[in-house]
Amino acid sequence: MKSRIAPVAITVAAVMMALAGCSGGSGDSGGGSDQVTLQFESWRPEDAAIWNSKIIPVFEKDNPGIKVQFAPTKATEYDAALKTRLQGGTAGDLITCRSGALNRENIEAGFIEPLKGFTGLSNFDDLSLSYWASTNGDPYCVPVASVMAAFFYNKDIFTELNLSVPKTNAEYMSVLQAIKSNGKYVPLAFGATPGDAWVLAYMGLYSEGPNYWHGEEGRQGLIDGSKKFTDPEFVQALAALKSWTPFMPDGRASVTYSDATQLFALGKAAIFPSGSWDISAVTGSTGLDVGVFAPPLPKAGDQLYVQSHPDMGIGINAASQHKKEAQVFLNWVASPAFQTIYANALPGFFGMGKEPAKLDNPLAQAWADLKVGAELTPRVEDILSGGNPDFETTIENSLQLMMTTDKSPEAVADETQKGLENWYKPQMK
Amino acid sequence: MRVRTSNSIHNAATKYRYLMLFTLPALIFYVVFAVYPLFATFVISLFQTTNGDGSFIGLDNYVYLFTDPTQSGHFWHALLNNLEFFAIHLIVQLPIGLLLAALITSDAVRRLTGFYRTILFIPATLSVVIVGFIWRMIISPLWGIIGFPLLGTEATALPTLSLMSIWQWIGIPMIFLYTALIAIPKDILEAARVDGASGMRTFWAIKFPLITPQFGLITILTFIWTMNGFDLIYSLMGGAPGPNYSTDILGTFFFRTFFGFNNVVGDTDYGAAVATVIFLFILISTAGYFFVLQRRLKPHEL
Repeated sequence: MKSRIAPVAITVAAVMMALAGCSGGSGDSGGGSDQVTLQFESWRPEDAAIWNSKIIPVFEKDNPGIKVQFAPTKATEYDAALKTRLQGGTAGDLITCRSGALNRENIEAGFIEPLKGFTGLSNFDDLSLSYWASTNGDPYCVPVASVMAAFFYNKDIFTELNLSVPKTNAEYMSVLQAIKSNGKYVPLAFGATPGDAWVLAYMGLYSEGPNYWHGEEGRQGLIDGSKKFTDPEFVQALAALKSWTPFMPDGRASVTYSDATQLFALGKAAIFPSGSWDISAVTGSTGLDVGVFAPPLPKAGDQLYVQSHPDMGIGINAASQHKKEAQVFLNWVASPAFQTIYANALPGFFGMGKEPAKLDNPLAQAWADLKVGAELTPRVEDILSGGNPDFETTIENSLQLMMTTDKSPEAVADETQKGLENWYKPQMK
Repeated sequence: MRVRTSNSIHNAATKYRYLMLFTLPALIFYVVFAVYPLFATFVISLFQTTNGDGSFIGLDNYVYLFTDPTQSGHFWHALLNNLEFFAIHLIVQLPIGLLLAALITSDAVRRLTGFYRTILFIPATLSVVIVGFIWRMIISPLWGIIGFPLLGTEATALPTLSLMSIWQWIGIPMIFLYTALIAIPKDILEAARVDGASGMRTFWAIKFPLITPQFGLITILTFIWTMNGFDLIYSLMGGAPGPNYSTDILGTFFFRTFFGFNNVVGDTDYGAAVATVIFLFILISTAGYFFVLQRRLKPHEL
């Protein structure tokens, strides 16, 4: 039983791993003397194969002197890890930028190279650029992708139960009731487990809510302080979300996001309120016939608002040794050619250029078609988050309770507003 | 024959020099990797960093922690939850650990002792993420055996997580008690058998009193483990562990402040203050425990 080698072996292994960890973090390794390798920070390890096989080779073919190495970090660890690397001077040359508050932190700390006067930016409109701008409006990252939120539905189930795609909230409710009465399928693949409470905000409230608070009108109102979260349009949006609860799966308080995705992908649920990034997840493995419909309108004839959230931009590390080469890459990223490759390689991530890219995936095209005639609006949280208490954390906690207990929409609105009044100047009394 | 009194080993000064020499490697290791980081954490907590420049602000981070309604509310709530997490561990783990240790040392399973010992210890070697994932599947209302959302309900979430953690770590108290039980000299047990004591009576009258000091050790180790707990809860419930923060413990509260969560950017200085408070709490409780209780749990002289 006694092993004298085991402790030695474990120690040696631990030391080796520590050494390996140290050596792995050192900046770029550069190929030859005339070759420059750009390290590219990202939070999407799941996209590594696509970048490495479909996107980067196209760039490297046209720019033989520059190599790009995709170096992703797990999404949940990206922001903290990137901050540490930026502070320590070991971050990559190219940085994938979150939109809004998190990016502004990095801009204010001087970590990101300003892009003022950068020619490639003329391919984007001011609204798209504003999501990655500093507080005084200067651009810092090239917009790469936006994602949308709406409702996937299983076309076969809709045909079987003789249902038509709902346009108004009343139709939506009667469709849900019909599926529930039939009893064969779960009406809504939507979970409310605490660990995934962001689902309730991103794909619930911020998806169906803009139709009530009129998109940007309501969001900007909250930001400049002219509207309160306790105003009737916000309470109505919360009430509409709460009315989904009878149609969610049994034991919804423990149903996770991946549970809901699987429930729908396996054909056991009829409607899946989600985001465009799930296109591959719901059709990829099972070949399900899936369609998409826009958030239901409060009344027929109302203006439609659809959530289109700026997800990803790319900027240059201010401490990079290869800024010139990084700019060459960014210029290519800003071109319509890149956007076509990107949007087709990753269905559900839409380019943000003025010129719309042509999409091969019919479901991705169906999502893009939702934008026709609709006003677009990003998620509410952006500028309102980051204080004490954090808006997003507060509302997710309250929404989770509203969807699983008898907590009322009014109480959620109250808590959210109180949280804002605690720190957000325009909302303070 | 005259004994040489100046033998170098017996010379007091040389003896201390040797003692120093032999403890030095461990001491250096301990100072560099344990004492210095703790001290440095405290120093960081006295600063406030804006855009890379630190300025000394004294105890302001601590004042903020204890006076801001949101922050202090979360802190005290996390502390209470953590004590509940510890209490559930202790109440469930000790009796089960004792039972398992008693069973695998009993004659009934004599030939399978090694097998049971290994089986019961295996969960402790698994990754916490795997344990959490497996249990979440088992109790999932959609795919699992229980329709009730145990993890999504305020009253049951923390006890459920505690039980998952207990399932994983039950091998540790079991091994402690097991080693204490097999260390009991055979002749005492044989004497008891000769005197006609039953198995039960031998256990409660002889074995149990001899292993009581182990309970103190297990209690304090469980206290330190649970107070430093983080991984299972973070992997299952995220950085703001719900429902309604009912599973938020000190470790997750610290993570939120230090590393940030959602759109909150981490605050290293304030996080260091939180870490220092948690450290002091564990230090004082543990020291108090040793002074008040552990000294009374004297092992029986055999």
